[in-house]
Amino acid sequence: MKLVSIPKDKYEEYRLNLMFNAYKWDPQFFDNNTIAKHVLVITNKEHKELEKLTEQLDRETRQAEEMLNKNLKLAKPLALPHKINKELAKMKNYQPEKHIRLMRYDFHPTIENKWALSEVNSDVPGGFAEASIMPQFAINVLKSPQYWYKNFGDILVQAIAKKVKPKGTIMLVHCTSFSDDRQVMQFLGDKLKSLGFNIIYGAGDHLRFKNNKAISILDGNEGEVDAIFRFTPLEWLIEIKPKHWQGYFDTITPSCNHPIAIFAQTKRFPFVWNRLEKQGITFSTWKKLLPETIEVNEVKNKEGYIFKPACGRVGEKISIKEACKDDEYEKILADVKKHPKQYIAQKKFNSKPLITDEGQSFHLCLGSYSVEGKHAGYYARISKLPRIDSFSADIPVLIEGEENDR
Amino acid sequence: MTGKDFYKIWAPIGAKWVDWVRPVPFVGINENLKIYEVENFTIPQINYIQKPTTETAIIIDLPENNSIKEGLGLAKLGFRPIPIYNGTDQQDGAMATVDNKSIKIGLIKGALEVQKMQIDKNAPPAFLLDSNRMNRYKMNQSVFDNSWDIYAQDLPSAEYFLKNGINKIIIRGESIQTDLQKILYSFQQKGISIYLTNGYENTQKVILKKPHYTAKEERDDI
Repeated sequence: MKLVSIPKDKYEEYRLNLMFNAYKWDPQFFDNNTIAKHVLVITNKEHKELEKLTEQLDRETRQAEEMLNKNLKLAKPLALPHKINKELAKMKNYQPEKHIRLMRYDFHPTIENKWALSEVNSDVPGGFAEASIMPQFAINVLKSPQYWYKNFGDILVQAIAKKVKPKGTIMLVHCTSFSDDRQVMQFLGDKLKSLGFNIIYGAGDHLRFKNNKAISILDGNEGEVDAIFRFTPLEWLIEIKPKHWQGYFDTITPSCNHPIAIFAQTKRFPFVWNRLEKQGITFSTWKKLLPETIEVNEVKNKEGYIFKPACGRVGEKISIKEACKDDEYEKILADVKKHPKQYIAQKKFNSKPLITDEGQSFHLCLGSYSVEGKHAGYYARISKLPRIDSFSADIPVLIEGEENDR
Repeated sequence: MTGKDFYKIWAPIGAKWVDWVRPVPFVGINENLKIYEVENFTIPQINYIQKPTTETAIIIDLPENNSIKEGLGLAKLGFRPIPIYNGTDQQDGAMATVDNKSIKIGLIKGALEVQKMQIDKNAPPAFLLDSNRMNRYKMNQSVFDNSWDIYAQDLPSAEYFLKNGINKIIIRGESIQTDLQKILYSFQQKGISIYLTNGYENTQKVILKKPHYTAKEERDDI
């Protein structure tokens, strides 16, 4: 794989195009430009390998979550928030074929020339437009017909269209006060609208449930909805007052994602593997890729471990010392000490930076989507530091070779 | 002209501070936006500062598009107005908590004024905010909440301000709202002085107290 520079004289127009034609409404974060000046090009061989690994991981994850759902006692080591635990029993009516399952697995190249997996974004993965429109702008700006990409957005909306009645109403549930949530929903909404669906942009508390069916109460948009696309993380949804969110857990309205996603969303997921293996579930791909993960109190004097919040997102509160700012590292350690069950300890992998033609060095997180068990494209970010977080830059992913080689 | 065209006027390539101009309201500018010509768009006279100094940045926190008008008044003095509005449109047909439409109209009308001005590429910044942004009152749960907060990541860091010679920030508004207080308190801790003016009286230095955080907010803030 390699980083290819966007010609300097084309970059500003490329950046503007992404803002105005590719739903990139958050191009700046503090002092950082979040639109990379490079394109990531992976070989067809690397793509094939990632495609295979993603689908294997996905199979293992979905088998695990369905087993956990049938036997909730096995889920105890996940230490899920009490409010979620209380509702899990409602999911007994979960039928995977009725819902749409979307995940994104985050891969990192290591100095051993292997892949390390840092997490699965099981509940509400983002980066949709970056994985769908951004690569096309990259191809245009590089004028490189030898590259191609998998259009994530096309794959996702086709999967939704298979499970929702034609011209049906879909509520895109998100935090309506956050423009960075809305940009993801607006991309998806526009795509679904072009297929004839009626789209409602709403918040978690704009849905009520009657006979397990979702009903919109949003002003001027009241009535039954035919599908829910949720972008509000489950652990945020359950904080909404007054409490009307229980219906998400046992709704028969097709959902993407259904709350069953929470089992693998927590980074404590590896703590149930032993129990599940006894039930015949295998985790061979996960075990090959995920660095050793242990309870915080097992670290003691062991070296080379980092702490990650069980419900963390976008790289936040990960104790990679060289990537922490100001007194962040000390604050994380203090929080770990206070709330050990809300963190995991993980063996730190050695990220191998990619070097540009200009000699710059960037660490990479390559997110690989699965939709309904099939690989569905890539979303990548690069950073000068070995932690990929909100300071990182979004980078389009292209695949080398002819599209018909795939 | 498109939203992108208007954005390019507010954020000309190569000018300092324009990387922080938020595209959100510009993205919503399209052919369906109706502009009412009757709306008053008079650029006010600025009395609380005579001319820009390289060490002073301004944050204008006034309702709706009044901050745009005042930003243009400051642009006449030599500041670079930087719109950092981040509110989104409500779902069609729904009642919303914040009217973001007037911002778009202000940005269109304001762009036509900015076009006529010669603002120095290194002009100090005047950031523009809508003081109604945190209007979260919902008469019932069916209302669409498109209120928004300004977060630290939406502005340059204290280090960036200081590195670029800015050690004084004037807030132009009735008060310093809670979201801004959190950001400005950390700026103050790092050596930036904070001043407040209501626009009529001289600027007054303020010493911000540590904002109150709940235990959860404290943890989220790590």
